[in-house]
Amino acid sequence: MDVALSDNGRRVMRAFFVLVLVFLYAPIAILLVFSFNKSAIPSFPLSGFTTRWYHEFITNGQVQAALKTSAIVASISSVIAVTLGILASIGLTRTRFRGKGVITALLLIPLVMPLVVLGISLLLLFKVLGVQLSLLTVAIGHVVISLPYTILVLLPRLAQIDSSLAEAAYDLGAGRLTTFRRVTFPLILPAVVSAFLIAFTTSFDEYAVASFLAGPRETFPLFLYAALRFPSQLPQVIAVAVVILTLTLVVVVGIELWRRRAESRLGEAPSY
Amino acid sequence: MALYSVDVLRLFPGPHTFALGGWYRLFHTTYIHLFWRSAELALIVSALVVAAAYPLAYFLALSGTRRKYVLLLLLIAPFLTSYLLRVLAWKVILGNGGVINSFLAWTGLWGHPLSFLLYSRFAVMLVLGYVWLPFVALPIFVTLESLDRRLLEAASDLGASRLQAFRRVTLPLSLPGVVAAFLFVFIPTVGEFVTPSIVGGTSGYMYGNQIVLLFQTGFPDWETGSALALFLIGVITLLTLVFVRFLRVGEAQAT
Repeated sequence: MDVALSDNGRRVMRAFFVLVLVFLYAPIAILLVFSFNKSAIPSFPLSGFTTRWYHEFITNGQVQAALKTSAIVASISSVIAVTLGILASIGLTRTRFRGKGVITALLLIPLVMPLVVLGISLLLLFKVLGVQLSLLTVAIGHVVISLPYTILVLLPRLAQIDSSLAEAAYDLGAGRLTTFRRVTFPLILPAVVSAFLIAFTTSFDEYAVASFLAGPRETFPLFLYAALRFPSQLPQVIAVAVVILTLTLVVVVGIELWRRRAESRLGEAPSY
Repeated sequence: MALYSVDVLRLFPGPHTFALGGWYRLFHTTYIHLFWRSAELALIVSALVVAAAYPLAYFLALSGTRRKYVLLLLLIAPFLTSYLLRVLAWKVILGNGGVINSFLAWTGLWGHPLSFLLYSRFAVMLVLGYVWLPFVALPIFVTLESLDRRLLEAASDLGASRLQAFRRVTLPLSLPGVVAAFLFVFIPTVGEFVTPSIVGGTSGYMYGNQIVLLFQTGFPDWETGSALALFLIGVITLLTLVFVRFLRVGEAQAT
C-alpha cells in the first residue's frame, strides 16, 4: 500500500495538475491564436489568418527602440548583479566574520520589499543626491531587485564545492585569481548562467521600479504599458507578447534542463 | 524616506519643519481603509493560491511520479516569463469585447457581456492568483520533498489511515513551507499596483496605486506618500519577524 496517496487520490490529483497546467498555459495559447487573427480586435469569431501584426511590429521603430533600451539596461544590470552576487556569495561562504547573519539578511531584504517601495525610496535617494534620472538609474534599480536572486542561486552552489579543491590549487602554486578563474568559476558556471538569466529576464520585464526611475528613454515594459491605452496598438502588442513569451519559455526551460544535467554530472563524476 | 515622511527633508522650496501631516493623513482619511481592503484582497489571494498549490506540490513530491522535475519545471516556467505580458493576456481575455465575452455571444451561450470580468476586484484577484500560483508550489514542494517517507510508513504501520497520517505527520512538517509560500505571495500582493492599474479599474484600486498616485501626479504629496510607504514596510517587517520566530519555535520543537 502506498502511504501517501490512494489510487483514487492519485487520479484526482493528476487531473487537478493537468487542469492547472491548462489554466496556466491557456492565456498564452489564446494570445498565440489571436496574434494571427485578421481582425484588429481580439474577439470571436476568428476572422482569418494573417502575419500582418508581426510585420508591423518588426518595422515599428518605437518597438525596436524600446526593446533595444531594455536590452541595454538588462545587460548592464545583470552583469553588475551577477558580479556582486558572486563576490557576496564567496564572502559569505569562504570567510567567517561577526554579524554575518545580519549582512545576509540585509542582502536579501529587497526580496520582501514591495517594488513600489523600492521604486520610491530609490527615487528619493537619487533626488537627494541630485542624480539625473537615466537608463543608468533604472539599471541600478534593477541591480537592487535581482541581486538577492543571484545570491540565492550562487550561494548553495558555492557552499557545495569542496573547499579542499581551492586549497589544492593554492598548494600547487596558483594565486587567488588563478584559482578563481581555473577552479572555482568553472565549477559554479551553471549557477552563474542561471543567475545571469534570472537577472536579465527580471530587468527586461520590470515595470514598477522603472516607472519611477526612467529618464526620457522608455524601456520596453514602459512602452508596453503606455501602448495598452491605445486599442489600435493592441494587435502588434499581442504579436510582440507572443514572441517574447515563447522565447523566454524555450530559453528558460532549455537552460534549466542544461544546468540540471551539468550539475548532476559535476556531482557524480569528479574529473578534475 | 523616513525623514521625508515627517517633512524634515524637502526637495521643493519651502520651510523645513518637523511635521506629522503625512502620518495624520494616513490614519485619518480613506488611506488606512484602503490599506485594509488591500490586505484583505492579498489575504484571500494568498490563501486560495496556497490551497491550490498544496495538492500540486504534494502530487509531485509524494506520488512517486517519474519525471517530477520536468513536471515541476513545466509548472514554474510561466512564472519565469514576463509578468506584464501575462497580465496583458488577461486583459485581452476578460474585456467587454474580449475573448470570453465575444465567445459567449458568438456561440449564443450568454446574451449580454459579463461586465464584472474586467476592471473589478474579481479581475485583480484572478490575475494575481494566476501570476503567483506557479511560484508558490515551489517552497511547498521543497519541504514535502525533504520529508522522510519512513515517517509515513511508520504512521501507517501504527495503524494510521492516510488522512490521519497526513493530518498528524505530513501537514505539520510541511507547515514552514506553507507559511513561507503564503508570505511570498502576500507581501508583494499587498503592495501591488501594476495589476490593479491594468485590470482593476476603480473598484480594484489598491493601496499601492495610492502610493504611486501621491508620487506621480501633477500635485505630488511626497510626505503623505512616504508615510504610506513606511507604514507598508512596517507591516511587512512585522510579518517577516513573526514568521522567522515561528520557524525558530518549530526548529526548537523538532530537536
